[in-house]
Amino acid sequence: MATLRKLAVPILFLVTMLASLTLGRFGAYLVHSVAIAAIGALGLNLLTGFCGQISFAQGALLGVGAYTAGNLGNAGWGIWAIVGAGVASAMTSLAIGLPALRLRGLYYAIATLAAQFILEYLFKILEPITNGISGLLIQPLKLFGRPVVGDQALAVLSLALLLAAYSFLRWLMKTNVGRAMLIVRENELVAKGMGIDVARTKIWAFVTSGFITGVAGAMIGFTTRLANPEAFQLSLSVDQVAMIIVGGQGTWAGPFLGAAFVVLLPEAIQRTGEAFDIARLLFALRDMAFGLLIILFLLFEPRGLSALLRRLVRWVSSLLPSTRTSVLTVKSHPSPPGDPNE
Amino acid sequence: MTFYLQIVTAGLATGSVYALIALGIVLIYKCSGVVNFAQGGYAMLGAYVTYALTRLGLSPILALVASVAVMAVTGAATEFLLLRRMLKAPVVAVMMVTLGLLILFKAFCLAIWGPDQIAFPQLFPVGSVEMGGILVTYNYIAAAALSLLLSVGFLAFYRYTPMGLMQRCAADNGRAALAIGIHVSNQVSVAWAMSSALAGLGGSLLATLNSLSLGLSSIGLVAFPVIVLGGLNSLMGSLVAGLLLGVLEAVTDGVLTPALETYLRSHTAIYSVGALQQVVPYLLVGLMLMVRPQGIFGERGTERV
Repeated sequence: MATLRKLAVPILFLVTMLASLTLGRFGAYLVHSVAIAAIGALGLNLLTGFCGQISFAQGALLGVGAYTAGNLGNAGWGIWAIVGAGVASAMTSLAIGLPALRLRGLYYAIATLAAQFILEYLFKILEPITNGISGLLIQPLKLFGRPVVGDQALAVLSLALLLAAYSFLRWLMKTNVGRAMLIVRENELVAKGMGIDVARTKIWAFVTSGFITGVAGAMIGFTTRLANPEAFQLSLSVDQVAMIIVGGQGTWAGPFLGAAFVVLLPEAIQRTGEAFDIARLLFALRDMAFGLLIILFLLFEPRGLSALLRRLVRWVSSLLPSTRTSVLTVKSHPSPPGDPNE
Repeated sequence: MTFYLQIVTAGLATGSVYALIALGIVLIYKCSGVVNFAQGGYAMLGAYVTYALTRLGLSPILALVASVAVMAVTGAATEFLLLRRMLKAPVVAVMMVTLGLLILFKAFCLAIWGPDQIAFPQLFPVGSVEMGGILVTYNYIAAAALSLLLSVGFLAFYRYTPMGLMQRCAADNGRAALAIGIHVSNQVSVAWAMSSALAGLGGSLLATLNSLSLGLSSIGLVAFPVIVLGGLNSLMGSLVAGLLLGVLEAVTDGVLTPALETYLRSHTAIYSVGALQQVVPYLLVGLMLMVRPQGIFGERGTERV
């Protein structure tokens, strides 16, 4: 049973990969959009969900990844362009984080907001690297000498990277550094009291989260084949923050569920809108539904989709006449009335 | 000299509006610990409501007053319908709700009034007066005077009235306020109402200075540097920092950018530095957070384990 559970995630990935090969272009496009968004959300979730640092610079960090990957890819670096993008974003994330080491909570959030705007500005004026407002054209990613084109191939590659990022983070959170992050999230003073080097722990979080975000940014670059400043504005940061909050901060399923929600919802509304022929209002309606759903969601389930999913699973399993649940109910001690844990 | 004076005057006028809008954010933060990312959305909504009311035939000043009232009700309703239900939710979730509100407001205005810039009705008489050798339009005078008057009036209200005292109590220590019989949630409602009213007025004033568009909602983002510079929990600080940033923006736009561009063009391949005035506040924020994170007027908080 335990081995089956361990294998569940890789099997799920493999099935999705194979399935996306059989999908049409649109289906594959949806798969890689969600997968890439989920990589970014995993990176942000490490920083915000596990280490407790809210960041609004995620959009700009994705941009750094896309621009770096674009330049390196155009120079013929192949797969190393993705690694280079990760390193560049990790360094940028560190550069944002280092001065902010003294800052806590809200102040760190505002520092990242400042970083987002400064980076957005740099994207526009550093013309030799970013090609300014007109944007940087990116050649297809070359893998083993062959260009990766077509949504199906991109979907498989994105899913592979997503699996790699997920497995890495799973491993990281089992190490001492990962555990230290969780304590820093709960209370920095307590962490210090336990002998944890808070600054070093945060630096790990900045660098790792930045690297994963850079990989996601590189994939954004290679799928859209164009990096322009408008694609990496604050609204992208807000989307990413929305993903981990709607999905459920600091959970493993959260980034996946949140990415699917935030990416697929506008698509679904767009499709519905086209069916009803209200194209003119579409853009407004899409945003309106997005805003409204975020609000309603957090109002009724502030812990996000993953908590909702857990409740749903529990509800379904309570309906099924399963031996496991019945054993559990017999074994568990009935709590006395007025139990504070109720 | 007159050129610089002209720039500084314009900066002071916009700066006083920034202060007005930032004041609202600080007010809500003080009494509920929530950072309202939707403040720019309220400013934009207020400006559109003023515009809509003048289109219905109200006189401009009456429309302005009515729109401020509408915004106060909207703010109180936001607190009552949304935030009151989220008292136990994590602060991040509440902040995300305000971000959702911002998206919602923008989409709402886009659906009704469209994406184009709209010429805002004249709220104040057309014309200008000469002051110290420079021409200042009535628009600028009215915006600056109204904002400063309201900000100061608001600070006085906060300092000297019984309601202001209750506000300060709720802000200082919510539990203690509850214990002495102050309805803290209602005080937070009042704070939201006032904050939105200030934002709505600020939005309308900014629309008279520039024009009306969805871009007004980004004014909330300018307000963040203001509150960091002034100190997150200082009302006075946001007033001073607002004026400071307004002037800084105007000076960057009018003096620094041209000078920098001439230098860069003659020495490097860079032709333009773009909208430098939009980044300068954030550069200043970065510097401030490194040197004195609590802001000019803020108090450093202590923490208990």
